[in-house]
Amino acid sequence: MGALEILWKIISWPPLWQLIVLGLIVPLLVVIYILWFERKTAARVQRRIGPLHVSPKIAGGLQLLADLIRYSFQEIIIPKTVDKAAFISAPLIALILSILPVVGVPFTDKPEWFPIPMDYSLLVVLALVTLSPIFLIVAGWASNNKFSIIGGMREAFMITAYELIIIVSVASAGVAVGSYNIVDIVHAQTGWKLLGLLNPIAFFTAFVGVLLATSGFPFEIPESEHEVVAGAFTEYSGLMYGINMGAAYLKRMVYSIVLSVAFLGGWLPYTPGEGFVSGYLIPSIVIMVKATILMMIFSFLRAVYGRYRLDQALDLAWKIMFPLAAIGFGLSLAEAYLGIF
Amino acid sequence: MSGFVRGSVGYNDLGLPGMWTRRIGKDVYEVFIGPQHPGSGHTRIIIWVDGDIIVDSEIDMGYVHRTMEKLSEGRQWIKAIPLFERMAIHDACNVTLPYVRAVEKLLDVEPPERASYLRVLLCEINRIAAFLYGFGIFGVFLGHSTMYMWPFGDREVWVELAEWLTGARLTHTYPVFGGVRRDVPAGFTDALRKAIRYMRRRLEDYRKIFVDNPVIRSRLEGVGVIPKKIAVELGITGPNLRASGVEYDVRMNHPYEVYDRLDFEIPVFEEGDAYARVLQRVEEIKQSLRILEQVADWLDKHEKTPIMAEKFWKTAPPLYKKVFQEQGRVKLPATFAIMKVPAGKAYERGETARGEISYYVESNGANKPYRVRIHSPSARNAIVFKYILPGHRVMDLPAIYGSIDYFPPEADR
Amino acid sequence: MNAQELVERIKAVLGDTVKKIEVHKGEDYIEVEVDKDSIIDAARKMKEFGFDHVHDLTVVDYMKEGYFRVIYNLGSYTVKELSYFIVGLAYNIPRDNPQTVSLTRVYTTAEFQEREAFEGFGVIFEGHPDLKPLLLAPPVAEQRPLRKDFIVKEEPEIKR
Repeated sequence: MGALEILWKIISWPPLWQLIVLGLIVPLLVVIYILWFERKTAARVQRRIGPLHVSPKIAGGLQLLADLIRYSFQEIIIPKTVDKAAFISAPLIALILSILPVVGVPFTDKPEWFPIPMDYSLLVVLALVTLSPIFLIVAGWASNNKFSIIGGMREAFMITAYELIIIVSVASAGVAVGSYNIVDIVHAQTGWKLLGLLNPIAFFTAFVGVLLATSGFPFEIPESEHEVVAGAFTEYSGLMYGINMGAAYLKRMVYSIVLSVAFLGGWLPYTPGEGFVSGYLIPSIVIMVKATILMMIFSFLRAVYGRYRLDQALDLAWKIMFPLAAIGFGLSLAEAYLGIF
Repeated sequence: MSGFVRGSVGYNDLGLPGMWTRRIGKDVYEVFIGPQHPGSGHTRIIIWVDGDIIVDSEIDMGYVHRTMEKLSEGRQWIKAIPLFERMAIHDACNVTLPYVRAVEKLLDVEPPERASYLRVLLCEINRIAAFLYGFGIFGVFLGHSTMYMWPFGDREVWVELAEWLTGARLTHTYPVFGGVRRDVPAGFTDALRKAIRYMRRRLEDYRKIFVDNPVIRSRLEGVGVIPKKIAVELGITGPNLRASGVEYDVRMNHPYEVYDRLDFEIPVFEEGDAYARVLQRVEEIKQSLRILEQVADWLDKHEKTPIMAEKFWKTAPPLYKKVFQEQGRVKLPATFAIMKVPAGKAYERGETARGEISYYVESNGANKPYRVRIHSPSARNAIVFKYILPGHRVMDLPAIYGSIDYFPPEADR
Repeated sequence: MNAQELVERIKAVLGDTVKKIEVHKGEDYIEVEVDKDSIIDAARKMKEFGFDHVHDLTVVDYMKEGYFRVIYNLGSYTVKELSYFIVGLAYNIPRDNPQTVSLTRVYTTAEFQEREAFEGFGVIFEGHPDLKPLLLAPPVAEQRPLRKDFIVKEEPEIKR
């Protein structure tokens, strides 16, 4: 066995592979595309051109890379009054935690390509996605700035509102199928028995819950610029601010992946075969395309809506969305009882 | 919560000169919004919040104060016009017209009829542009980026019309004592009619995406309610006053120029909340479009007659007369700069986009004003922030601020 | 209603507190001079009469004569026939002791305007709830920049 072969073994070892490709390269590409799409569609709706000058031939597609380079060369200012350890570590931990849930998502049904094979992957993913917002509050608290604290508190209010909605409505996918293993959930959806179609209530509440969770419009409340400047990130500058903003998009990407496996049939209609291309690459691309389309819908809402008031958003979440999510859960139970899957 | 320890200057608890302090309650959080805050403009709003509720508020204005009243005392009468325009550069004609009219009163000069129509023309163009500006700011305050971009783009139509008419996009200095500076260029009225048609179409688009948007409605309805009685007591003005049910518009109650010959209505809403103020502005744009149509008809029907009062005109050199007759453009004669105004007092009001502006002009017979007192609409509306904000939520602040259409440079003068 | 009729009615309303009444050019601005001591009383009567808000508070500095003239220009929102007119309720106070009473108890509108008169001219309005500068920074307001003896140095006077 030659050195090259050993190197290839290491690289193609699924956890490492997943870390590099799904953990670093794919999110970067997706976030770049989504940000470009968001700016371009908003510009089209608003009769502007949008980003153009960085790369006119591909309609400004490299604008975000240019922004990233600018962010990384900007001075990182750490104010004297902040709690330094928490101030620096909170956004980094939040970034890591927001991409971490992907370890639980199998992108194919061939176990050799799983990052971590397990039977309760949906629950693990849901548990992991709820970790990162806490560090947003920590960041706001550590900043020692009034706007940061207000922003952090708003985030806290929003967490209590959306977490239950997302967990109940996504878990209802598992209830309907009778298994919390994502592979089983996807397999149960073969033949266009998509959960998003069979249980639209749960899908809708999960969708709104993700909007609440990732502060997408009309729920862009914790970072609402005209009241709390940048919310918890007010004191951050340069790359630290970029990390914070990137974490929000990564979170949105992870949620979209979860929604597309739980409700949109994952890699279906493709059936994974043997080998790398058929067994891993194509199914994961199918999932990413579905997730990206979901993210594009999230992004487009920016051009249509303003933002709700905090109490109105919480009202909506607790009084309408949570009962709806419970109804969706009941619908799943009924479907499981009737044996549709 | 205790009030101010001491209101005046140079005294406080800490003994620091030039600072004042205020004791605040135990569970109250004091937040200074502005003047470098993205949602404040060039002003500072201080709010004291208990949880999410504003318990007390105050406005600290003056960050763009330019001492216009004092500066105007040091320069000739005509030079004050471009100075006063700086209060609200996108509403320049409306803001300076009452000053011009006050001085005309003292001089006993009446502008010719055509000049009056031209003044109304630019006033209404300015008014629409200023309303669109306000809508843009309001849109971005509510996080509605499309409503930010659309009115700002459509405002360009009116700004370019104004540029064609006067030669400047914003600070036109168009009305001068005795008339206006330029006649309408050829083909202007056709372009104006096209702009009116375009604007009517766009107002429908605004209605679809902003005014009838459920999110926007839920943010605005019942927020920042100013009942009729309170509106009168606080002396607020302009669309904000009319949205509270008071039927008062200077163009109707004290008609100036040719407004009494034009057919238009004063829309009034009874609710007095932020949403009524939005609807009020939409209706006012429609009325302005109606006025503009009539002005365009009048300009088409009538010959090009002088646009400057005879009194200034007869002393002008022959070259100036030639420029005027051939190009429809007034080169101001030198008499303007050294002009002395008879002693006396005059008070004149005008309706700008944000409300009523008033000028108290006093002359002692010199070539400079003795005293000019300006009270601008935003300065009169500023009191709202002190008396209406308490009791609302923190997130209502941008909704109320935007719906009042408060413009700090105008308020600070 | 024309200006002369309004003058008669104001005279009837205010009674003998009126010292002088003057109609200025344009026939829409009436200046009523009253005694300083009876200003609150006069303002109350004017408010009952229909002038419901302070349109504008003007102070004019007559340096040579040695007095300030405080003019409350009153307007009406609610009474349609009065809304054409502005009535200036004026009184004089000595320049070296500019003490007077606040009208905020009658007109809430006057609150910010009295603060403005305070910072520009140093007129002390007794009974004002929160008398402090409105627009100017406190050290600048100390110099009372709107008084005539404050010369703007950056703008040299151009002699012609």
